[in-house]
Amino acid sequence: MKHVVHGAPSFAHIEITLNAGDTLIAESGAMASMDASLDQKAKMNGGFFGALIRKFFGRESFFISHFTNMSGRDAKIIITQKAPGDIRAIKLTGGGFYIQPGAFVACETGVKLDVKWAGFSSWVAGEGLLRNYVHGHGAVFIGGYGAIYDKEIDGEYIIDSSHIIGYSRDIKLNIGMSGGIFSSFLSGEGLVARVEGKGKVFLQSRSVRNLANFINPRL
Amino acid sequence: MQIDILARPANTITKITFARNEEITAEGGSMVAMSGGLDVQTTTHKRGKRGIGRAVKRAFAGENIFLNHYKAERDGAHLYVAPNLSGDIMTHELQGSSLIVQATSFLAHEASVDMDVSWQGFKNMLSSEGLFWLKMSGTGKVLVNSFGAIYPVAVDGEYIVDTGHIVAFDEGLNFSLSKAGKSWMSSILGGEGIVCRFKGKGTVWCQSHSPSGFGNALGRLLDPIVEYQQ
Repeated sequence: MKHVVHGAPSFAHIEITLNAGDTLIAESGAMASMDASLDQKAKMNGGFFGALIRKFFGRESFFISHFTNMSGRDAKIIITQKAPGDIRAIKLTGGGFYIQPGAFVACETGVKLDVKWAGFSSWVAGEGLLRNYVHGHGAVFIGGYGAIYDKEIDGEYIIDSSHIIGYSRDIKLNIGMSGGIFSSFLSGEGLVARVEGKGKVFLQSRSVRNLANFINPRL
Repeated sequence: MQIDILARPANTITKITFARNEEITAEGGSMVAMSGGLDVQTTTHKRGKRGIGRAVKRAFAGENIFLNHYKAERDGAHLYVAPNLSGDIMTHELQGSSLIVQATSFLAHEASVDMDVSWQGFKNMLSSEGLFWLKMSGTGKVLVNSFGAIYPVAVDGEYIVDTGHIVAFDEGLNFSLSKAGKSWMSSILGGEGIVCRFKGKGTVWCQSHSPSGFGNALGRLLDPIVEYQQ
């Protein structure tokens, strides 16, 4: 499997070449176009119960698509995300990575999609009780609204929680207030994520939820 | 006529500079700014012609039924046109051939190009995207816009495009509404729904993002109270 990201950073979409026998796992509705020789199958996102949990607690889709190249020669597929923005590939080599709801775009079959307990503070912050965990071997693609920044963390760092799209397994994420209770809400920063540990955090420069918050009072 | 496509690909806008007596037809509501020396007529079809039949067809196609015709009274008059969503704009030069444009991707065409609603059969009714097509024929330039980037695919054989990602295609290509895989159930459950299967030889231009995909992602977060009030 080979991939090229086109149109970054405003309109990233991935051109993936599947060799004979290869399968790509993609988020529901992520296919923009593809060679007719590819076959698509809907699969429950991690078995029936896994899919159910992910749907209701992880705010992910119940079904995901498997695209398989059954023909004898290479075939191409264009994968995209809903929001205009950037897409990044993360290469997993046995490690794990947390992905925020809605950021998953696609992955290779060597990558497993799981959910893990995120804690009540995450739920209070509107980020859900569970978080999506990807692990194994292979490439996983994550997408963001706007540009994507990756930041090496060593120690403590503070991020607005609606801008996080993913972070490495060894990073601990605590939801808290940026300052005291008054300054946090008066400054408009509200709840922030305090990340701690060593690893990488991926951030999106915009947030669909913040766009909705901007539009709502004007409807 | 000089067509300059500026600020690509995210915030694209087109500047059209006219020589005297040149004419262009643009979708109603797409004008951003214009110089003096342009005569503007709003009609439902061709300049100076009434075409209620075609306007009704275009209204069905989800398009603005009004078209604005700009005619230059002097050299150097200019016009800026832009679409609503952020994305790219492309020019396509027709030389006797025809181009089928997905209705919401149409931006403008030169007066020498003829536009009609292309009735591709009842199969269109099945699609949730409300697919309608405008057939551009004749000679001259056509301007189309997209949500996101535009990528051309040279089809030789069969190719599948999700219904929300089609901008335009050569008339020589046949298409049918189809499923993404071997099973309808998989296609619907997998969120791909109905897709377009193109057959033959020619180019299909796709857009990297689907307006309804982003619309649904954002719409889900909008205040439901407003819906009740409507």
